[in-house]
Amino acid sequence: MLLDGLGLVTSFSTVTLVGAGLIVGLIVGALPGLGPLMGIILLLPYAITFPPVQAMGFLIAIYVGGSCGGAISAILLRIPGTPLAAATLFDGYPMAQKGRAADAIGIAIAASALGGVFGGLILILFSPSLAAFAAGFGPPEYAMLAITGLTSIAAVSGHSMLKGLIAGTAGLLLATAGTDEFTAAERFTFGLFELSNGFSIVAIVVGLFAISEMSHLLTGDDLLDRPKLSTARPGFGTVLLVLRRWPNLIRSSTIGACVGALPGAGGVISSFTAYAVAKTFSKSDERYGEGAEGGIVAAESANNATAGGALVPTLALGIPGDAATAVLIGALLILGVFPGPTLFEQHSDIVGGVFLVYMLANIALFVIGILVTPLFVHVLRLRKVVLIPTVLLMCAIGTYAVSSSIFDLWVMFAFGLVGLVLRAGGYPLAPLVIGVILGPLLENNVRRTLLLSHDGLSIFIERPVSATLLFINIALLLCVVFFTMRRLIAGRHSDLSQEDT
Amino acid sequence: MTSWFVLGRRFSEWCAIALMLVLVALVYQQVRDVLEPSGMAEGGPYDNAAAYPRGVAMLLLGLVCLQIVLQIVVRGRSGGDTLTWHQLVRPAAVIVTFGLYLGLLGILGFHLASAPMLFAIMVTCGSRQWWKMAVISLGISLGFAWFFESQLDVVLPGGIFNLNIPW
Repeated sequence: MLLDGLGLVTSFSTVTLVGAGLIVGLIVGALPGLGPLMGIILLLPYAITFPPVQAMGFLIAIYVGGSCGGAISAILLRIPGTPLAAATLFDGYPMAQKGRAADAIGIAIAASALGGVFGGLILILFSPSLAAFAAGFGPPEYAMLAITGLTSIAAVSGHSMLKGLIAGTAGLLLATAGTDEFTAAERFTFGLFELSNGFSIVAIVVGLFAISEMSHLLTGDDLLDRPKLSTARPGFGTVLLVLRRWPNLIRSSTIGACVGALPGAGGVISSFTAYAVAKTFSKSDERYGEGAEGGIVAAESANNATAGGALVPTLALGIPGDAATAVLIGALLILGVFPGPTLFEQHSDIVGGVFLVYMLANIALFVIGILVTPLFVHVLRLRKVVLIPTVLLMCAIGTYAVSSSIFDLWVMFAFGLVGLVLRAGGYPLAPLVIGVILGPLLENNVRRTLLLSHDGLSIFIERPVSATLLFINIALLLCVVFFTMRRLIAGRHSDLSQEDT
Repeated sequence: MTSWFVLGRRFSEWCAIALMLVLVALVYQQVRDVLEPSGMAEGGPYDNAAAYPRGVAMLLLGLVCLQIVLQIVVRGRSGGDTLTWHQLVRPAAVIVTFGLYLGLLGILGFHLASAPMLFAIMVTCGSRQWWKMAVISLGISLGFAWFFESQLDVVLPGGIFNLNIPW
């Protein structure tokens, strides 16, 4: 499989795209308010002009670079560029305060690269096995799998599990707009021919995330401020500081890869978990929270290993692990590639190519990251007053470029407003996007299952895999009910104590 | 500051609920007025194009009802992030500007509409360095146009004047 993909990866254009993607990723990761997801979204229209492996190389490099880039602003500005780098801040900023900013950035980049390579090994080892196992799946299993993808991301939506479930269900509903695949009937198009193929996934994602994020940035008072920063030049020797902590590196990368493979549990959870575990296992002379190198190693290796783990269900099953991988699936679908077991059987060159570009991106991250860090320090000086209109223009031009449609721009705008309302109401946006991606998979397989079983639902419990997934789904839903009830009871107690006071 | 000027999480939660209810209502309206008259809302799993969306809409309605109960019962904890109306003026102005830009894109074309949009948003953000803003707006607009038109062969909207730069 890897040999099949080698031919697709060893071209000059692929290597250049991976390098460009890393630089873009590091920049969007470093800029507070953007991040890897935003980078992938904004560059998606550009990426899909390339063949699948090159496009994925570019987008995956943004994902990898963006997961690491947040550490730079966390260390230098005490503002994590992305939530992924929040745990890096605990020790990175104190290190910078002690005059070791270059070392801290170097450790963050080296740990990210090594953690990413570890995640890549997990991806290469486990996704073919998972795909081979899933090759025997029929419509009932796929229907249950789609529901698992949705319920699990809702279940990890923090204190708003019910809201996550509502957002995911709304996504499923939005995915029904367009032409019905079975009857060719037009549904929910309101007579608009532009909606015959449903909503453009690019317009939805750009609107929901980018527009709402820019509006959120606009509520701040620091739009005209230019951060004052000193130049930091990390050296290649910092990799030795990371390798010296190899037990921490392997442990944190394992946590990152395993957490990443679970739908919904992203880099934030893995980096905080790895940081907490590393702190527990630390030697007494290592003071976590006061500039311990081990803290940066744990957080950064875990969040980059998460990317590799998240790609396992994405490629093997076609089930996205988070919003970023949902957009990667969207890109593959636009390019006519359908992730899942059949991809491994019929297009092993593409799968091998994706594995290799992922590994290449992580290896190149170390070299490019160390070399161009001084550039990112300049980028961090960019004022939001310039950043915000630039991103908005990029949203418009990028969405338009996909199918040269003004209508898609209005869809993007409408979803931007929807994103604003949902975000303000505390609704997570990722389940909605995952619902839109999984919607067609769920509907087709539910209807096929009902056709197979002649309208009976017992087929879901007659097949072992489907029954297991059904059990998992019920357990996840019970979790949602339990935590919702707990919140309700806690709220009542809070109300009563307020009345007593 | 009086509560009239504070936009609490609770208000936004109700707006989101309203949005979801509108979505459910639209599904039912379309099924009743479009799919049922055309015979697409009857038959088995193969022929019935309305059964699945109706089922999902029903599920969504159930979840939203649960959320409504939760919001009513846990009334003391509206808390969360609060924004003043004053803080919302700038995002609202930028959204209106951006919407106006999208509306004008098809009429004026990319080259005539983009730079003024960028300039207007920078003004809304509080910048007053007029010449610098004008140069940045033109530079960004032309930079993007060059990249998408000459490198990606995307034909950007030319508007009624059919303005496209032959790079």
